[in-house]
Amino acid sequence: MNVMITGASGGLGRVMVAECAERGYNLFITDINQAGLLSLKQGLERQFKVCVAAKACDLTKAESVDELMSFIDMHGIRFDMLINVAGIDYEGGFLSIDREKIIKIIALNNEATLRITHDILLRRRPGKRFTLIFVSSLASLYPMPLKATYAASKRFLLDFALALRHELKNKDVSVLTLCPGGLVTTKEAIRGISAQGFWGNATTNSLEIVARKTIGYALQGKSLYIPGLLNKILSLLGRLIPRSWAAALIYLRWSKAQVKWLR
Amino acid sequence: MKAVVITGASSGIGFEIARLLSKNYFVIGIGRNENNCAHAKELIYSENPGAKIEYFIADLVQQKEVNRVAYEIQTYLENNDILELYGLINNAGCVRSWYTTSEEGYEQQFALNHLAGFLLTYRLLPLIIKAKGRIIMTGSQSHKGIKICWDDIMLRKRYNPLTAYKQSKLCNILFAKGLNDRFTSAGIRAYVVDPGLVRTDIGNKQAGFLVNLIWSIRKKYGVSPEIPAKTYEFLLETNPAPKGLYYCSCNEKTYSRQVTSENADRLFLLSEKLSGISYDRLEC
Repeated sequence: MNVMITGASGGLGRVMVAECAERGYNLFITDINQAGLLSLKQGLERQFKVCVAAKACDLTKAESVDELMSFIDMHGIRFDMLINVAGIDYEGGFLSIDREKIIKIIALNNEATLRITHDILLRRRPGKRFTLIFVSSLASLYPMPLKATYAASKRFLLDFALALRHELKNKDVSVLTLCPGGLVTTKEAIRGISAQGFWGNATTNSLEIVARKTIGYALQGKSLYIPGLLNKILSLLGRLIPRSWAAALIYLRWSKAQVKWLR
Repeated sequence: MKAVVITGASSGIGFEIARLLSKNYFVIGIGRNENNCAHAKELIYSENPGAKIEYFIADLVQQKEVNRVAYEIQTYLENNDILELYGLINNAGCVRSWYTTSEEGYEQQFALNHLAGFLLTYRLLPLIIKAKGRIIMTGSQSHKGIKICWDDIMLRKRYNPLTAYKQSKLCNILFAKGLNDRFTSAGIRAYVVDPGLVRTDIGNKQAGFLVNLIWSIRKKYGVSPEIPAKTYEFLLETNPAPKGLYYCSCNEKTYSRQVTSENADRLFLLSEKLSGISYDRLEC
């Protein structure tokens, strides 16, 4: 099994990569962070007997992705799975974040994801089943004030993935969308989770379990994975109550948490 | 003046050791946070203006940071005409509520509490052997009642913060035992100190909600970090070198039956592989 993972050297990426290596998959890892990518490749090769290729890429730049693809084509690599982990968020309300940072959220979470997904689907291993994973978020399930751009970008991924799943069904491609709550991926994430107190802790999912189940469910052909019972209940509530109410409620909660968080 | 390197030296037990040793040693502290290190240095100078102390900044969870800081320390010692290192205190440690990884993809408690010390010791060992020096790890009584999970040492399959912590502390003693098995003949000794329950912030730093809460209550019953610091001084200064392995309040203490040469060898092999080094090929 040949697997491409984007955003590999981030917190979730590293655990996804380890999960794949544990399963004995060959890995092609990419990330914008070249140094992190090399450390990760080294760590993987020391822990597992798998083949790891690593190449840095800025997925928001078409030329950088073109370069990555010519590298892949030059080596004749073909894939059975793509895990789209690369994504970004900047904390703060819409007007308190720089304009270009706002645009960057969409450029990476959406545009770049489409770019790499398109290219890798064209490089799937012929005659084999292909598995496609998108990392969305619990934030995709409702409009989220103070995280408006991020939540909308994750909503885009969720809707896109559900639609693409049907479009590619008879081409033997299965598409899974992961919608996790908080994940302990960076120091900032830990701070954010702590700032939300009990609820932050309760909606946080264990990285290693999420990684294991995501790959497992994707291989089984499931379409959506929301980790954790509480998160499943929250997502159900999000569907039952009017979207404007959900937004108002979330605003109440986040406005308090963010004051603490950004302090 | 003898030189000593102390990791995690900007707060808690590490800071108290630095403060105590700076009276008689050239102290090189390593800390993660620049401001905390500057503050620690200032505090030590304010008490003892003649103290010889320098801080280096490194996030020892990442192996490349360990390698970098080891190189910087070697260069610094050379530039100050210090040709040997008498003591290395691998004290930096952490607790993580959740499974988190280093850049290499190694579980963070294992990476910092054990591997960082393992790699730093390797880098500095030639200098320590020159001084016939001593290496001390900060261990814990919690290393008892657990075995190393050899087929999943990062605990990816069943992560539990306490298990990860206990295992990393068992690794500390196995490492010290392995060092003694290999290098006692070269004149060095390795020890582990059980500091007891100490009032530090270990459970409050990036540890997570629950660990944070429990630790905030538990540490109230702990002693001041000045108390365990004395055991480190005792182990550095007693001559001839104490023969034991595990000490608390300057007294030898019994340790887990898991601490065997066989387990120590196995941990050595695994840690060497994970760090990309080989103690056998060390040029001393």
